[in-house]
Amino acid sequence: MHIPDGYLSPIVSLGAGAVTIPVWAIASHKVKSVLNNRTVPLLAIFSAFVFTIMMFNIPVPGGTTAHAVGGTLIAVVLGPWAAVLGVSMALILQALFFGDGGVLAIFINCLNIGVVLPFVGYYTYRLLAGRSPLLSGRRVWAAGIAAFMGITAAGLLVGLQLGLQPLLFSENGYALYSPYGLGEALPAMLISHVLGASIVEGFVTALGVAYLQKNHPEYLTTLKSMVSGSNVPEGQATRRPLWQTGLISGSVALVVLLALGLISGGGDPAKLFGTDWTTVRWSDVGIMMLIVAIIFAILVPLTWLILPARIKKVGTYFMAVAVIAPLGLITPGFAYGEGSAADVQQAFGYVPKGLHAFSSFFSAPFADYNIPLPFFNGSEAHLWQQAVGYEITGIIGILLVGAIAYGLALLIGKTKKGPGDNTIREAQV
Amino acid sequence: MSSSARLGRSPARKKQKQSLGWLEKTLAGITSSIAQAVFTEEHSRKAGWLQQLDPRAKLGMFLAMVLAGSFTGSFPVLVGLYLVTLLAARLSQVPFDFFVKRVWLGIPFFAGIVVVPSIFFTPGERPLSFTVGSLIIGPSIPGLIGASIFISRVAVSVSLAVLLVVTTPWADLLKSLQALHVPQVFILLLSMTYRYIFLFLRSAVDMFEARKSRMVGWTSGKEQRKWIAGSVGNLMNRSFKMSNDVYSAMLARGFTGETRSFNTFRMEGRDWTALFLTIGVAAAAVFVQRFIR
Repeated sequence: MHIPDGYLSPIVSLGAGAVTIPVWAIASHKVKSVLNNRTVPLLAIFSAFVFTIMMFNIPVPGGTTAHAVGGTLIAVVLGPWAAVLGVSMALILQALFFGDGGVLAIFINCLNIGVVLPFVGYYTYRLLAGRSPLLSGRRVWAAGIAAFMGITAAGLLVGLQLGLQPLLFSENGYALYSPYGLGEALPAMLISHVLGASIVEGFVTALGVAYLQKNHPEYLTTLKSMVSGSNVPEGQATRRPLWQTGLISGSVALVVLLALGLISGGGDPAKLFGTDWTTVRWSDVGIMMLIVAIIFAILVPLTWLILPARIKKVGTYFMAVAVIAPLGLITPGFAYGEGSAADVQQAFGYVPKGLHAFSSFFSAPFADYNIPLPFFNGSEAHLWQQAVGYEITGIIGILLVGAIAYGLALLIGKTKKGPGDNTIREAQV
Repeated sequence: MSSSARLGRSPARKKQKQSLGWLEKTLAGITSSIAQAVFTEEHSRKAGWLQQLDPRAKLGMFLAMVLAGSFTGSFPVLVGLYLVTLLAARLSQVPFDFFVKRVWLGIPFFAGIVVVPSIFFTPGERPLSFTVGSLIIGPSIPGLIGASIFISRVAVSVSLAVLLVVTTPWADLLKSLQALHVPQVFILLLSMTYRYIFLFLRSAVDMFEARKSRMVGWTSGKEQRKWIAGSVGNLMNRSFKMSNDVYSAMLARGFTGETRSFNTFRMEGRDWTALFLTIGVAAAAVFVQRFIR
């Protein structure tokens, strides 16, 4: 996500200096007040360390690799201000001597990766870790989530900066700099980070904190006590029982979901997520759930038994998702398979152009998400018959998509020169 | 499938699948960085045109040209600027194939991939288009113009950066930042960091090679990630210990926290000429691009 030169207008990339330079000034003042004469050797060596770990490839499930940044780990250990300087130094040297990121773009890259990332990461970590003992498991997952948030925030910022370019700097209908608007750049950066780099960064940071807890817990205190080598009040390694963690995170997720639903539904509890739930016949939903449960109980163990060992795990997960997914059909608005372009318009206020174009020349073999047989969707068909129909079409659809994806992956895997060529290109943009 | 048949087949297949993985990629990345630094140092000592100039003049020339490239929205002018960098590379004895390859195989290639879809999405006239259903597919004129300007600008920027780095020893380049009023402490920090980078890269290579040479068979992704996180933590511990040692060593040699640097650079007539010439070219490019489209 280092922005190279030429992607941004120099007004933006140099203008970022108005934020970055004062932050550097404050940071060096703060760090100096703690470290005194140690500032230079400690920061220089930690910057070299940051530079080195930015070169590490992390194995990602699926055989590819991604690069870590390590900004949050540094912020957890050195505090946010020292992390700002350490990561910035590494970024400057990368831009000057190793061609990673532009030279004019140094300010903006340092703002994204060197300032926003460590600060978001550090404060998320502090918020989640609270006053828990140094060796508690809570600190591990707090660091993981913090790293996830930090790098996602940085990626989002990059998307914002790239996406603003065509809005601000266009001429005669063509973009002078990065050509994608906010509508493309933001989701592209967000999705690629949330589904890839952020998860990797989160995992590595969490594992890194776990390693430090086990071997060097003194690094998890403040910068001051770390340098002065004072006694570390480590506390005991505590582990919350799994059911408690599950219960807490589950209820948090529920509350967040409810809040989001209320916000998008305009505060009316009957209209969560903007759909009218009063039109749902809950007895039907119950039957639907029962049918899904039965199918789940049969199909998932069956898949586990049938599939060859190599894809047993993945295949079973996939089947479970395929069975559960048609439950989404109970949502009114798109209820019972009427997700036509008109429905989309009603729900979102507009129809994506692509959807409109495609809906005319691609007519689904299973129109209305049901099997075109009188048993399943005839006028006298019972609800359970319809439900089974939805289930079957849903499963077939999802399995088809999966099979296509798997086939494509196989094809790409075959034609690829070697497995060494599939690094996620984190370095550019 | 019997378990013995599975055992007989799967390790070979897994090994083939995983052998060129993250470990080798990291090793290759680190080695190529070191090689690049060595190569750069080698060229920065040659007796070419840019090598003989004062680093501060070079920094000024670089900034003037990069700004000119960034503010230019005209394809012919950008091509002209690129030709100027080629000429400068020639005069500075930078190997032509290295220079062109480094620029065009690197970032502009990637930028090209990023830009290609935009050619088709930008609204505008589409002279070469065909219709699929209700979709009209074809490159649009504004899209093509935008893409070529974008790619040529990235190429110019990258060429200039490569030229600056390849013709200036790193210590001189960092010192020349003083001319931009970068505080002395930061320059000291940057140059110390640069020195220690190679030590750390060396340690990292040792760690990775140690693991690779002791590994038979394959391990799970979970174990690999755990090992990486552990090696990050281990390196962190080492860097903290080393910073203590370095601090003691600096203290023993009379370091009081103040940084002083003596400056041997002197701008001569040749340096001023080159600087003003470049600024002139840059200003002309920015002026001319209003008229040449």
